[in-house]
Amino acid sequence: MLALFRNFFAPPRDLILVVLAAWLGLSLSERRATRYNLNKDAIDNLILFGFVAYVMGGRVFYALEHLPDFAQSPLSLISFSIDLFDPIGALAAALIVAFVFGRRANLPFWRTLDTLTPFFAALAIGMGLSHIAENRIFGTPANVPWGIYTLDQTRHPIQIYELLASLLIFGLLWLPNLDSSPGSLFLTFTALTAAAQLFFEAFHGDSTLVFGDFRLNQILAWIVLATAFVLYEWLRTIHEQESNVLDRSTPRQ
Amino acid sequence: MQPLERRIFFILVLVAGLAWIGISADSSGTQTKSVAAPQVGFLAPDFTLKTPSGESFTLSAQRGHPVIVNLWATWCPPCRAEMPTIQKVYDEYKDQGLVVLGINATNQDNALAIAPFIDQYHLTFPILLDETGAVSQNYQLRSLPSSYFIGRDGVVRDAVIGGPMPEALLRAHIEELLK
Repeated sequence: MLALFRNFFAPPRDLILVVLAAWLGLSLSERRATRYNLNKDAIDNLILFGFVAYVMGGRVFYALEHLPDFAQSPLSLISFSIDLFDPIGALAAALIVAFVFGRRANLPFWRTLDTLTPFFAALAIGMGLSHIAENRIFGTPANVPWGIYTLDQTRHPIQIYELLASLLIFGLLWLPNLDSSPGSLFLTFTALTAAAQLFFEAFHGDSTLVFGDFRLNQILAWIVLATAFVLYEWLRTIHEQESNVLDRSTPRQ
Repeated sequence: MQPLERRIFFILVLVAGLAWIGISADSSGTQTKSVAAPQVGFLAPDFTLKTPSGESFTLSAQRGHPVIVNLWATWCPPCRAEMPTIQKVYDEYKDQGLVVLGINATNQDNALAIAPFIDQYHLTFPILLDETGAVSQNYQLRSLPSSYFIGRDGVVRDAVIGGPMPEALLRAHIEELLK
């Protein structure tokens, strides 16, 4: 079953899974936009511009990093190859463009992030499926009944763990009262995703190690988790202060 | 949850996270350079194959040289599209020690079409015949072409699945191998 799935969605066909997930996520975000009284078209445009910036930014940053190579073959700049891509540069470009567009379209920052949360969650599922299909990441050696035999020994099925975590987080987003105040849905999603990354990274066999034996992704996930908690507290404090002011200004009968 | 309870919960989660980072700090599960697999960070699976003229080539005998292993077939359009580029960069970098091994997936190709193909594209790097498909299997071939960039130590540094590879990508990977 797993082999059939991997053959059918062998790279670069695995990108179909990410595109399908993005499409599903976009539909769900549109519904959220209506619920939060946000302009649905502005949300669509935000994602579209962010996506274009992601694609172009990834290529431009990669070209900047390898300028002498591109100088010798400038036509490579417009190649269809997805390997000429810098994901960090792409993400930076997408965030900058999305932020600027959001400001110009007068989209409220935290409610917009809440609206986009189902999109991010669906994208995480698509990425999980894509990781299963491309079979590049792998777990640590393990002696567990659910281990999969890959790369000479039985290992933790890390891609399956990631997929299950993303499905669980996606499901949790529909719990009632999770989006009671602006930003809380997005920050809950961020915290859950960071916590899952922090936990499951321990079972990765391909971790980048820093400061001796520590896993870089775990440290980054912990920082994201701590930031999400701090921002959540800050937003809740503001929300509670605003509620108190409203309570005091409402005349008692 | 009350604000104080919430804050205590957050602090407990963060402390548990730090403890987990400490408990799971272990490089023993991430040692890959002694295991052969067609994955970045692993030792490239070894093989010995013959050229159409009968000369033998062994991958492990190329240690000390950066190596590109390119799996291809004559009927595969992206393979045909990238061959001139591979030949071009091979001409440019072979004096710096670059080895290119073009492995024809002969078990799924027409053997009679290989020699005309080599002539048509003026290929001067070794073309090896994978007649049994064993190398394709060891390299878990799922898309043609597939290229593996192998460092001087025999470890896979990059893999490009599918093609054609743009020239800048080839150059970027070769420059990394030569560092």
